[in-house]
Amino acid sequence: MENKTSVACDVMEGSLPGACASMVFPYVAMQGENPQRYNQKDALAIGTLFPGLHLPFFKETQQRMQCGNTALCELMALDFAINELGLYLDTHREDKEALQLYTNYVTLAKEGRQRYEAAYGPLQQTAVTLSGGYTWLDDPWPWDAKGGEK
Amino acid sequence: MFVYEKRLQYPVRITRPNPKLASWIISQYGGPDGELGASLRYLSQRYSMPYPELKGLLTDIGTEELGHLEMVGTIVHQLTKNLTDEQIREGGFAAYFTDHTTGVYPTAASGAPWNAAGIGVKGDVIADLTEDLAAEQKARVTYDNILRLSDDPDVTDAIRFLRAREIVHFQRFGEGLRLAKEKLGEKNIYYMNPSLDQ
Repeated sequence: MENKTSVACDVMEGSLPGACASMVFPYVAMQGENPQRYNQKDALAIGTLFPGLHLPFFKETQQRMQCGNTALCELMALDFAINELGLYLDTHREDKEALQLYTNYVTLAKEGRQRYEAAYGPLQQTAVTLSGGYTWLDDPWPWDAKGGEK
Repeated sequence: MFVYEKRLQYPVRITRPNPKLASWIISQYGGPDGELGASLRYLSQRYSMPYPELKGLLTDIGTEELGHLEMVGTIVHQLTKNLTDEQIREGGFAAYFTDHTTGVYPTAASGAPWNAAGIGVKGDVIADLTEDLAAEQKARVTYDNILRLSDDPDVTDAIRFLRAREIVHFQRFGEGLRLAKEKLGEKNIYYMNPSLDQ
């Protein structure tokens, strides 16, 4: 039996639905440019910014802990969006809209970081101030029961 | 250079001690497909990567994995806080306790300490990225298995987040491999090793 698609493809290619691709090479489709996105809070709760990459396991509980409206949760959500968009841009450096969004989030996260540090103390060791004292050492540490929220 | 930020990537707030669950989850700290191996694999593979996209991708995912290592350590720590003598004895935690008390030690759930034999650095862009694709899937399955075993919604929530990241990383490594292939620009992508041969 003749396989029609294989006839259409080059001698070094095999068939994919609607396309030909090189053989002896693993194939993962590129995510399209400017992909659909969740807002940063939903993204943090779900574990990805992109609905296209949201593929849960059937044993997961549907109910998720919603990170509240605290300064820490807001910063976590912004930094998560930055992290996720950064990885996306690593493989899509020409996507101008994603880059624009990335820089917007970076600006927001800078403000968020300042808000958090003003209320709860330094996120980085160098954020201590002379007037505030050496608050870097103050509990809680991230692994403590309250995980950085006071 | 690395700079520490005093917060987790995603909140971990576990209130119920559960040493048995901790003794399984420790595998994602120091087991064959755990976060320590993941970060060391990617951060070590960077040096021989020939293309900037891949240097960036391995740096950024390797760094995120260090944050995941911290999350898994936090889960284990919180699950083993304030244990009663009875809780220490029950559920198969006593063997771990004998060696490490409630310290967080990089070991597999099956008892083997962390071992670099579980990771690969081949110095070849196609071999290394293909390893990374497999590594993300193996970590994803380990999290699937932990989700099957977990009976604590607070633990499940954090594990679910970590699992979701493996899927995103798999996608990005797959895209990295495609970018590498375009750069190889040859009919025969195996003709030479671009890290070595010009």
